[in-house]
Amino acid sequence: MDEYVLRVNDIWKSYDDLEVLKGVSFELKRQEVKVIFGPSGSGKSTLLRCINLLDPPQKGEIYLSGLNLMGEHVDLNEARSKIGMVFQHFNLFTHLKAIDNISIALRRVKKLTKEEANRKALEALERVKLAKWADHYPAQLSGGQQQRVGIARALAMDPEVILFDEPTSALDPELIGEVLQVMLDLAKSGTTMVVVTHELGFARAVASEMIFLGEGIVIERGTPDHFFTSPKSERVQQFLKQLTILYGTHEKLLEQGD
Amino acid sequence: MFYQIPEPIEDILLVFSYWDHILSGFILTMWLYAWAILIGFILGLILSILRQYGGKILKIISTSYIELMRGTPLLAQLLFLYYLPTSLNLPTPDWAVVSNFSLFDKNFNIIFLNHRTMVGIIALGLNSAAYQAEYFRGSFMSVGTGQLLAAQSLGMSKFEGIRHIILPQALRRVIPSWSNEAAYLPKYTIVVYFISVQELFAEAHYIVSFTYLSLTTYVIIAIIFLVLISIISKGLDVLYNRLKIPGL
Amino acid sequence: MMSETKKFLKSFLYLIAGIIISLIALFILFPKLYEIASYITIHGLLATLLLTALGLISGFALGITLALMRIYGATELRWLASGYEKLLRGIPILVLIYIFLYGTPGLFFYIDLRYRPIAGVVLALGLRSAAYQSQIFRGAILSVSSGQIEAARALGMTVSQSFRHIVMPQALRLALPAWTNEYAVVIKDSSFAYGVGIVEMTKAGYDFGVAFRELWAVSLGVVTILYFIFTFPITRLFGEYQNKKLKKLGMGGGS
Repeated sequence: MDEYVLRVNDIWKSYDDLEVLKGVSFELKRQEVKVIFGPSGSGKSTLLRCINLLDPPQKGEIYLSGLNLMGEHVDLNEARSKIGMVFQHFNLFTHLKAIDNISIALRRVKKLTKEEANRKALEALERVKLAKWADHYPAQLSGGQQQRVGIARALAMDPEVILFDEPTSALDPELIGEVLQVMLDLAKSGTTMVVVTHELGFARAVASEMIFLGEGIVIERGTPDHFFTSPKSERVQQFLKQLTILYGTHEKLLEQGD
Repeated sequence: MFYQIPEPIEDILLVFSYWDHILSGFILTMWLYAWAILIGFILGLILSILRQYGGKILKIISTSYIELMRGTPLLAQLLFLYYLPTSLNLPTPDWAVVSNFSLFDKNFNIIFLNHRTMVGIIALGLNSAAYQAEYFRGSFMSVGTGQLLAAQSLGMSKFEGIRHIILPQALRRVIPSWSNEAAYLPKYTIVVYFISVQELFAEAHYIVSFTYLSLTTYVIIAIIFLVLISIISKGLDVLYNRLKIPGL
Repeated sequence: MMSETKKFLKSFLYLIAGIIISLIALFILFPKLYEIASYITIHGLLATLLLTALGLISGFALGITLALMRIYGATELRWLASGYEKLLRGIPILVLIYIFLYGTPGLFFYIDLRYRPIAGVVLALGLRSAAYQSQIFRGAILSVSSGQIEAARALGMTVSQSFRHIVMPQALRLALPAWTNEYAVVIKDSSFAYGVGIVEMTKAGYDFGVAFRELWAVSLGVVTILYFIFTFPITRLFGEYQNKKLKKLGMGGGS
């Protein structure tokens, strides 16, 4: 089991009477990038929140590098510090400058000194190419910049895996590119990622596996090639057709910037 | 600790044996409240319209009035008005509009209007106007300037636009926050106690002077106010639900 | 962005300067006013400020507790806090003062007789203010967007860490405009201490009038102006200014 950074085993999750996830499983090796996609309401975001136990599932297990996160005596906060999360709406701390957004968890959770924390934070900002904006407040940054700060914030914690919850869905079209570029760089440099997204160009470029989630279950999974050349189920075919109509030209843009 | 522990029920009954005083005080409190709200509403509406839509001078005057009345204690305002004639060496006429009636063998002698009650009503009204004006202002701002511009571009005068377009909407929107002021205003009618108007609190004093049951009496009075405010609050909620603009 | 703040501060400073200059002019034209003002200030101002400060502080302590009870507490606690708010908002402050001072005379047995009226008024003011401050802080805490709390937790911060470092700093700033309003309310309510023998500003003004009847109304007018000086600049500065600053930082009215 240790070769797997993340093992998600038979997750069931419901809210009151509504069953959102009905037995979802997948695993993730080091440096792999998995893309989860599917129609809205299929439980994709819920799945991510189950993984870092912000919203624990009713049934199933989550293993982080072999450790069962739902077992007794597990320090959840420590576990969460090893799982990074990037949110659709960025969720930056609005009262803190960009650099402080990143350093606060380093200081409070990882107990680094102020100097160490600031150093790491600056490094993370450089990776997302925002070092010059370290002293700006979130409200002074564009959406794309805010999301990159969000990515830096997750990166700086040196997590074993980073979860991305539709990171570009709330961005204006011309800002999506800069965030996707950062994510591409991360993937290529070997970061282990789970990405929920509609950006299929990204998936095609770096995903080791794509998982199609529909109505709470895994309908189909396979390499990007598999999906784009010969997807099996009709649901998937339908979905892909609709997406390419929307994103057609955008994919080309992405391939150009590669 | 309290010198009334042993028979709380008896005490309550004793206080309520002065029901005629309680009732008379309550009537006067309601009387003051009604006038205060009415004057406050009319004056407050005018003030907020002047502040929002008036010329520069009117804006300054109305804003100054509102900020002054809201930034100073009601008691000080009341006492100022009350002692104004004394300072100007004007005599205070001794007149009264009284109501005499009997109920269940008890005689009621309620002074509805005299020099002091009038000063009280004016002070309460002037003060409430400033607070209500602020609520109206918020409501005007939520309706927005766009609709007034549209009205004027159709040929309506500013006044007509305010009257036919802004006000109907603003008045309906203001009810939730306005009912805040309206429901809690009875609390403030108590100030007139300090100029010897026999409203509910003053009557409570009277009862205490005879029964020495200060805790019981004041708690009962407090409860009366609580109940009154809750009823007014609920009533206004119901009213709002009836008058709501659908979709807002 | 800088010029907007500068513009506001400028106009605010002009306002203050204008008030001070007109006050000085008034005192020179009418020396009696100066006499009145100094009498009131010497005899009443300290009491007013003391009552206000103590009332606000106790209201703050209890108010924050109630707010936390309402947001994070079990159902019974929430019900209790909510009931407390409703109760204290519906009772006139003067009745509250009388209940504590004359209804429960044994309550302050450990306090020297001279200071009992002050204790009673402070208790009444504090209890009442707590009900309103609870609302203020509850609103402020809730309007810090829950997404940020999620992010803090996802980074591994504990509940108390995310509360202390992410929620509270923002909540306190969001609460400031409403809180300065509450300050104004408490300082105005302190005038009711007039009725229980404490010599604060209003009583001082009244006493002056008793001695100099022709100046009665004037004296009370001066009292009014004094209160105004203590409320208006503060509510103006921290009310609107803070709102503008908050909007620039993107805070205020969560997402």
